[in-house]
Amino acid sequence: MIFDKLKDEVNELLSRYPVKRSALLPLLYIAQREEGYVSEPAMKEIAKLLSLTPSQVYETVTFYSMYNLKPIGKFHVQVCRSLMCALVGSDNIVEWIQKNLNISSGQTTADRTFTLSVVECLGSCGTGPMMQVNDDYYERLTEEKVGQIFDDLKQKGSSSLKSGPFMFPQPTKS
Amino acid sequence: MTFYELAMGMKVTLRHLLHYRPITLQYPHEKRLLPENYRGMLALLRYDDGTEKCVGCDLCEAVCPSRVIRVISAEVPNEPIKRYAKEYDMDMTRCLFCGLCVQACPVDALGMTREYEWAVYNKRNLHLNKEQLLAIGDRSFPNREKRLEFQHPNVAFFNLPFPGQPLKESQTLT
Amino acid sequence: MSEHTTTGMVTVTIDDVTASVPKGTLVIEAARQLGVMIPHFCYHPKLAPDANCRMCLVEIEKMPRLQTSCSTQVTEGMVVRSSVPTVKQARKSVLDFILANHPLDCPVCDQGGRCDLQDFSHEYTASGTKFVELKRVFQKEYFSPVIETQMNRCVQCLRCVRYCDEVMDVRALAPAGRGTLTKIKSFGVHELDCEFCGGCVQICPVGAITSRLSMYEFRPWMLKRTESTCGYCGDGCQMTFQAKDNDLIEVNSTLGVGRNNGDLCSRGYFGYHANVHEDRLQSPMIRCDGELVEVPWEEALAVVAEKLTAIKSANGADAIGGLIASRCTNEDLYLFQKFMRVVIGTNQLDSSARYGHMNGIHALQRVQGTHRWSMSFDDLLSANAILTVGTNLTETNPITALKVKEAVKRRGAELITVEALEPAIGTISNIALLSTHHLPLAPDQFASGTIGLLKAVIQENLVDAELVAHAKDYIDAIKKQVDAISWTDIEARTGLTAEIFQDSAKVFTRAERAVILVGQGVLRSQGGYGMTLNLMDLLVLTGKLNRIGCGLAPLAEENNDQGSVEMGAVSELLPGGKDCRSREAQQSLEAAWGCSLPSGEEGTLMDMLGKAKRGILKAMIIVGENPIGSLPPDSGIEDAIGKLEFLVCQELFLTDTAKRADVIFPACSYAEKDGTFTSTEGHTQAVRKAIEPLGESRPDWEILSALSVMMDHPLEYESVKAIGKEMRDLMPGTRTLGPSPLPPRPCLDTLTQYLQEGYQDTLATRYCLPGMKATHTFVLNVGQSIFHSGKFSTRAKGLIQIQSQGVLSMHPEDAERLGLACGDGVCLENQLGQVKTTVKLSDRIPCGVLFFPEHFDQDIQRLFAVSVDNDTHVPYFKCAHVEVSKAS
Repeated sequence: MIFDKLKDEVNELLSRYPVKRSALLPLLYIAQREEGYVSEPAMKEIAKLLSLTPSQVYETVTFYSMYNLKPIGKFHVQVCRSLMCALVGSDNIVEWIQKNLNISSGQTTADRTFTLSVVECLGSCGTGPMMQVNDDYYERLTEEKVGQIFDDLKQKGSSSLKSGPFMFPQPTKS
Repeated sequence: MTFYELAMGMKVTLRHLLHYRPITLQYPHEKRLLPENYRGMLALLRYDDGTEKCVGCDLCEAVCPSRVIRVISAEVPNEPIKRYAKEYDMDMTRCLFCGLCVQACPVDALGMTREYEWAVYNKRNLHLNKEQLLAIGDRSFPNREKRLEFQHPNVAFFNLPFPGQPLKESQTLT
Repeated sequence: MSEHTTTGMVTVTIDDVTASVPKGTLVIEAARQLGVMIPHFCYHPKLAPDANCRMCLVEIEKMPRLQTSCSTQVTEGMVVRSSVPTVKQARKSVLDFILANHPLDCPVCDQGGRCDLQDFSHEYTASGTKFVELKRVFQKEYFSPVIETQMNRCVQCLRCVRYCDEVMDVRALAPAGRGTLTKIKSFGVHELDCEFCGGCVQICPVGAITSRLSMYEFRPWMLKRTESTCGYCGDGCQMTFQAKDNDLIEVNSTLGVGRNNGDLCSRGYFGYHANVHEDRLQSPMIRCDGELVEVPWEEALAVVAEKLTAIKSANGADAIGGLIASRCTNEDLYLFQKFMRVVIGTNQLDSSARYGHMNGIHALQRVQGTHRWSMSFDDLLSANAILTVGTNLTETNPITALKVKEAVKRRGAELITVEALEPAIGTISNIALLSTHHLPLAPDQFASGTIGLLKAVIQENLVDAELVAHAKDYIDAIKKQVDAISWTDIEARTGLTAEIFQDSAKVFTRAERAVILVGQGVLRSQGGYGMTLNLMDLLVLTGKLNRIGCGLAPLAEENNDQGSVEMGAVSELLPGGKDCRSREAQQSLEAAWGCSLPSGEEGTLMDMLGKAKRGILKAMIIVGENPIGSLPPDSGIEDAIGKLEFLVCQELFLTDTAKRADVIFPACSYAEKDGTFTSTEGHTQAVRKAIEPLGESRPDWEILSALSVMMDHPLEYESVKAIGKEMRDLMPGTRTLGPSPLPPRPCLDTLTQYLQEGYQDTLATRYCLPGMKATHTFVLNVGQSIFHSGKFSTRAKGLIQIQSQGVLSMHPEDAERLGLACGDGVCLENQLGQVKTTVKLSDRIPCGVLFFPEHFDQDIQRLFAVSVDNDTHVPYFKCAHVEVSKAS
């Protein structure tokens, strides 16, 4: 039961919305944060918390590409393939990643480090080609740059080439 | 006058006597040449890998004006949602050889052979079951078609994924 | 259907036809009324508009672009065009988009021939498409044993998903994914687990969701349609049998027909195979040297006629008793009671309405002098407050439950549920989740809940002012009774505080139209008659009894319980629900039948069994009923049946009772005969023959008629219609097939009489709280499962695939306390015996309660003691107190 230890956070979330059901997306986000993906027990638990049926939670999870239903690698690499990025060569980036990591879209490397997804627009059209690794954006990619990012990630767990953070709410600078 | 008419009448007789050209065929020692689109005995056909073409859709039964055909269709055992004719009977005593069933068949599983030597002593022998109809097909149509899904890969006709079936690009993404 | 909240009409022109329609009508509905067909997939009259399929686009003057007619309401002077080139082009494009992914497998699709997409494609699409892309192909996933999905065919109109949510309130289906790759699934890769109402199958416009039971067995044009009435519960749903070559292929229901209005439950939709089960008895049998052997009809009838005549002349007519199942048609029931009363000459006859429905009938007769509801089924929809007591509504009477759901969800009725239910979300819908006031009780404490409500009414001064004026004694007497019961006692039994009773009582009293639904939990439980009378008191006290749209509605378990009462197939009532002892009723019946009525005393089911045990009753005629299967061994039923000298059964199957018979006549199921059923509401509806009788089986009335001829008392009828005519002559207003009749109004004389003295005799017994169970014991409750009805449905292969055996349901907390997990063996024990079974965990069941479906296991009945009601002679065996331990 993953929400047992997060009672305060869940209660705080539930108190934000007039309708309980509205807390579905944040709760799913928490579940994914805790386990790396949205597991079936988590979905059932959320359903119970929000008085929904498991099917309703499941339908929401499948709608959003940012929720994963299967365990993924440590780094979830999502490369934009929409028109703007495609015009400036996202195909090459995808091909390069597929060749170098030896995985195709939707797969995870054998050492469970990287998972590659090819996704639709991530809203960074001015700076394509771009990709999102976990919560971080990497923009104006070239093959060398991607190589370096992957090296950084493997060695240090993060890369200085990231732009952002864009997560909401912005971390407050004290 | 009478003599003239007799002479005229005998002219034809004499001409045939002199230019002998037999009309009667010495059947069964000699056989007549059949026209190109001759509609003879009905037969069920197979694909080149030996599977029956018939999907048991009952359209031949529906279209038959003299109720020759009786189809009982079912799901292929161990192959979910694949339909076939569990029983396929034709009462050839009633058949008009109109060929509507052949036209109605959506998978070209029926054919009209050039067989016509089907005189029998017992009418019951003209009630043909599926095996008999397939046997007629086997001997009359030695050249078999490829399976439908290999003819038109874009027509997901049987509604079933099959090995090597191309998938839409977007389906490979997730 | 759109809400016609605003009155007034507007004028609208659709395709050059002008008409006025109610304000608020949707354009697509207005068009249908004017005879203009607008193609659509996602629109359905039962569902809220979704406008996702874009098929119903029309051109509306003064509106930019094309509009979806299914979500646009008509306004004054609106001009709509549905056959202009732009609209046609739009439809073509929409179809082109759908067909870009739809497989061309119509020949193998069960929907082929009655498919909306097929029809629209023929009508609106040019052949050929601009799309050259590959079609999407989903991997086939197993969905359910009775429902098949073929997602390649799906047009993503989401009707099934919305139906499952809006109408059924189950929400088992979900659209997974997005865009063209959306597919209808239940939860993840799990197979579907839901109410299996078949609604998704019926509502799917294409062949994406089909029934697995009839898969590939038919093409729509081969089927012979027969409109009939469902034979499972008392709701009386109208349905259509679809038969091919004397075999039932499927069952449908039609929108706008009957009270179910296109909806069915799992029993109705998947339960039809019971009628054509291979175990059906197909020829008469007589017992020769202990073995049942098949004989011709003539021989079997002669044996029975001879034997019954012999017993009658030797021991008198009262040595013969009769029992009939309430699943028979009205004509069968009528002829049965006439046969028993005229040919045999005894008043010892009963029907299975005795198992509970008689409690409701007697209470209604006692207080309001009717043997029917004084409200109609549709009054449920217009009710402001609905009180359900012990109904377990969604499982026992699913279509009544749909009405309640609609009343609550769409019309804002307040719902008070006094049920042995926890408001937990599960795989089947839960009425407690919709309730505004939920009073969860153990199934043996419904009486406490009822008294609690009455106490609150008295205490809060909610008694009707008019009643205070002229029935002071009555109020004082009740006040005295409820004052003697303290809130603490009630709280100890129910776990509920006085406040919730007071709130509920206020809601109930405040409502303009208030309806009480009484279910099996009350009618078949200990003290059921008293509880029902108490609930009548609640109506009387709050001044609602004589108000339009208010009333008490006992819900029948079997389809024709109400019919068997109205046909007089119970010993104390003559046809028309008249009292058997009333001289006036006797005389009119004697005049009509042209013979004298028996003078012997009445004998109900339990009386007859008692007499059989004492050897007074020598022979029984049992039509379609299986008392050995229904009554617990504690009733001594086996002994009673065993002591009979002669037993005749008219049966569909070789039941436990039929196995003991000396002669068995094979009877027809309701799919093979004509007749009528009367729903709980009292509406008589036609049952029509869909297939020819199997083997040599014959309708029950024909068997009885033949028997009467051989016993020299001919009751001969040409057909069912001739019996119907006699019934109509005898009981004006009966068997008038048509719209539901107006409900009878309460008889004021009876009410006055009740208020003066009628209430007194039972007052002390019914205003007392039932005993409490010992803390370590559980209340074991047997009842109906949503997937079955009686034992008949266990012969339906579809229902057996959904639920094949009975397991004990228990609340997870109880299970945890006892160290039990789902699927563990448990041992139930009380003073009557010990039974082993398996356990299943269910959030729906309250703590301290166990539930077992009554359809399968005979063994568990050993734990139940039978007690018989003094007034109504109803045998009670629904609850038992047991100790639970883990089986070793």
